[in-house]
Amino acid sequence: MMPRALLLLFTLLPLTATLNTAVADESMRLSVKPVLCITDKRTPSCQMSFLVLWESAQTGYYCLFNDFGETPIRCWSDERSGRTEDERIVENDFQYWMQDDSSELQLAVVTVEVLRLDSDDRRRKRRTRHVWDVN
Amino acid sequence: MKLPIAAALWLLVAFQSGAAEQSTTPAPSTVSVAEQGEAREPRWRLGFALGYGLRTNPLVQSDDIPIVVDVDIGWFGDRFFFDNGDLGVTFADNDRITASLVARVNSDRVFFGRTNTRFVTVDAAGMPLSEAIVFDVPDRSYATELGIEVLMDGSWGQLQMTAHHDISGTHEGYELFVDYGYGWRNQRWYVEPSIGLSYKSDELNDYYWGVREDEASPALLAYTAGDGINAHARLALSYQVNRHWTFSLVGEFERLNDDAAASPIVKDKNVFGYFAGFGFHF
Repeated sequence: MMPRALLLLFTLLPLTATLNTAVADESMRLSVKPVLCITDKRTPSCQMSFLVLWESAQTGYYCLFNDFGETPIRCWSDERSGRTEDERIVENDFQYWMQDDSSELQLAVVTVEVLRLDSDDRRRKRRTRHVWDVN
Repeated sequence: MKLPIAAALWLLVAFQSGAAEQSTTPAPSTVSVAEQGEAREPRWRLGFALGYGLRTNPLVQSDDIPIVVDVDIGWFGDRFFFDNGDLGVTFADNDRITASLVARVNSDRVFFGRTNTRFVTVDAAGMPLSEAIVFDVPDRSYATELGIEVLMDGSWGQLQMTAHHDISGTHEGYELFVDYGYGWRNQRWYVEPSIGLSYKSDELNDYYWGVREDEASPALLAYTAGDGINAHARLALSYQVNRHWTFSLVGEFERLNDDAAASPIVKDKNVFGYFAGFGFHF
């Protein structure tokens, strides 16, 4: 019984992890890896290289943006897919999104989560008698 | 009784020393975590763990303790906190230490909840008896304990020290506990080994691991346990799947003190524990 439950969890967890790959316009698919960055006291920020992949149903002029600036990170002309790498030092959640030249609408958005796992409250890290406690 | 008093005095000195630094250092670190507006964490910590694990039972005629599901409930206020059954009030919180008065239930009792009754036909020396007699591991009660807990951390790791005394009149002894751990994180992966010692007074040790005259039988001889030191080590490995889910592997080892291990109700000096599963925190 227990191995089956674990197997189900193993199957479902990756699905929940990829929910961040949101698609605002079904004709545009945007994927970012990684979508989770973890910080703690010793490492208060993440220095990461984000791999951005996009694919559209139609050829066109598309630009990739993120929350760090108003100018696009990169644009593609007469393309229906593309990839790029973006080096960032991040401390908070932010988004990547694709935009075309005509509508200025966000065609697809992906949120990169920054998760602070270390607590400043020492009491939250006190050792309890739980064998399984790994907080 | 001298050891808890000495420990309390040491904690008081440590607290005063920390307070002195606070008054001369105009650093924001003197403000408690709960008072820092933007860093304020939710008061509640709620979660559960699903998986499979086991804790071996050192008692004779006993079953190991399975771990399949567990609930994690904690509430942390500015002063008061509740952490999975432990109640505490924090009286010092600065950049050096966090010190609290903590009420808890003793952990030694946990082994006595999974014992079995059997009939035996030989005595404690292995000689045959004229008729089968009942062999029971004596029952023991939970003890409520009150004590002081000091937590320290830094780039060198984290240290937890506690001194607890029985306030329920159950064993009327005390326990001193120290645990040191150091964690490494590489993004989603986290590994933390920790080691520690636990001193148990003769009253505490004898209550749980001794056999009183009225409990003795030809198959179970009376036994008096003195004080002793348990040693423990733990290795925890976890992988952060996403914001809420964590996969964890934990292995734990505890070595009972010599007086406890020599008791006729103890079959194994070592207690092993492990758990593998998923934890969810809201």
